Amino acid sequence: MRTKFGILVAIFSLLGSGAAVFAHHSFTTEYDGSKTFNIKGTVSKVEWTNPHARFYVDTTDESGKMVTWNMELASPSALARNGWTSRTLKVGDQVTVTGYAAKVAQYRGDARSVVTADGRSLFGGASDDGRPDAGQ
Amino acid sequence: MTTRGGIVASLVCSISIAYSASIAAQRGGAAPAGGNARQGGARQGAPAPDPLGGVAALGQSVKRPPAPTGPVPRLPDGTVDLSGLWVGGGPTGDIEREGGLKPGTLDELMKPEAKKIYASRKEEDNPHYQCMPMGIPRSTPYPFRMIQTPTHKKATHLFILQEGNIHSYRQVFMDGRQHPTELDPTWWGHSIGHFEGDTLVIDTVGFNDKSWFDNKGHPHTEQLHTIERWTRIDEGHMAVEVTMDDPGAYTKPFTVHFQARLTGLPGDEIMEYICQENNQYGVAQGIKPADK
Repeated sequence: MRTKFGILVAIFSLLGSGAAVFAHHSFTTEYDGSKTFNIKGTVSKVEWTNPHARFYVDTTDESGKMVTWNMELASPSALARNGWTSRTLKVGDQVTVTGYAAKVAQYRGDARSVVTADGRSLFGGASDDGRPDAGQ
Repeated sequence: MTTRGGIVASLVCSISIAYSASIAAQRGGAAPAGGNARQGGARQGAPAPDPLGGVAALGQSVKRPPAPTGPVPRLPDGTVDLSGLWVGGGPTGDIEREGGLKPGTLDELMKPEAKKIYASRKEEDNPHYQCMPMGIPRSTPYPFRMIQTPTHKKATHLFILQEGNIHSYRQVFMDGRQHPTELDPTWWGHSIGHFEGDTLVIDTVGFNDKSWFDNKGHPHTEQLHTIERWTRIDEGHMAVEVTMDDPGAYTKPFTVHFQARLTGLPGDEIMEYICQENNQYGVAQGIKPADK
């Protein structure tokens, strides 16, 4: 019994390391892990909903046109376990969002990182949400 | 002895551990990649590096404490206590890979009709992405609890309360009853359970054929009969072994191995997860129009 446990512990530690690689999951069919974006804008809506929390960012595109990005986050529960609340982002907040762009849809992204105006750098996901660094 | 060796070997093959091992965490290193990250590339070939780097590259962090490794907790009468907020214990992306089977095993076992169904399945039809029940033995990255009733004497029911998928529950009858001879097919089936020593054995029949074992779409029929063996191996870890017997889809039974762990987050509870409230799956990849 003890030997078996010891072996299991050793196996767990062997499997311990891992580089940040692209993950399987709906992420890879919805978003392009190699197509990153970084935009600055104003939060115009926050949806603290399942299966993904979302927030919408008004910004201007390269041509100066006003556009609204639909940003996807992890589930509210996963975010909450990592320190978010439904009030972490508020309408009117100035944010910088870094993430992975949708494969097809325009102005839609998987938000990996949200930097708020007061300088907080927030991770938009959590383990097993399918994004490349899931579990890191 | 052979069985134990087999379990150990299967765990070595199983590369999908949802959370870090306590030993790795105690070394002070970052938690390893989550289950889906480790199976990375299943659909697209070799995994590619993330241009944004790991979480720490952007000055962020993820709370992922190690699971405790103390002795197995027990109830006053000596039976294993399954209390705790657990996570893992089943496949998400690929039951063959995550379950420790040799690659190609299921292709070999699949009957022609099942092969046709498997080949025809498209991701947008994945019932899981439509917020439909995940069935057995699929899991999610979200926690669950195992609740026995009553608690002061022999259990008559055990409920597995799931945060994820559709924030639902499984009902396992622990009172010694047998399966009814005729069953109306359901997503979760009819489950009866009992303890064999420290192992909770759950026997389930009466499935409909609608759930997919994983995101790849491995199929099953209404003839599916699952036997799960849940063994709490220490305070924070649970070995889950599932024998899948579906003569309608596979030429012989196969056994897959997973493990669950306590989330380890102090004060953690099941949180609400109403999957269908704002499901925008499909819009980003252009298979569904946006209505926002």
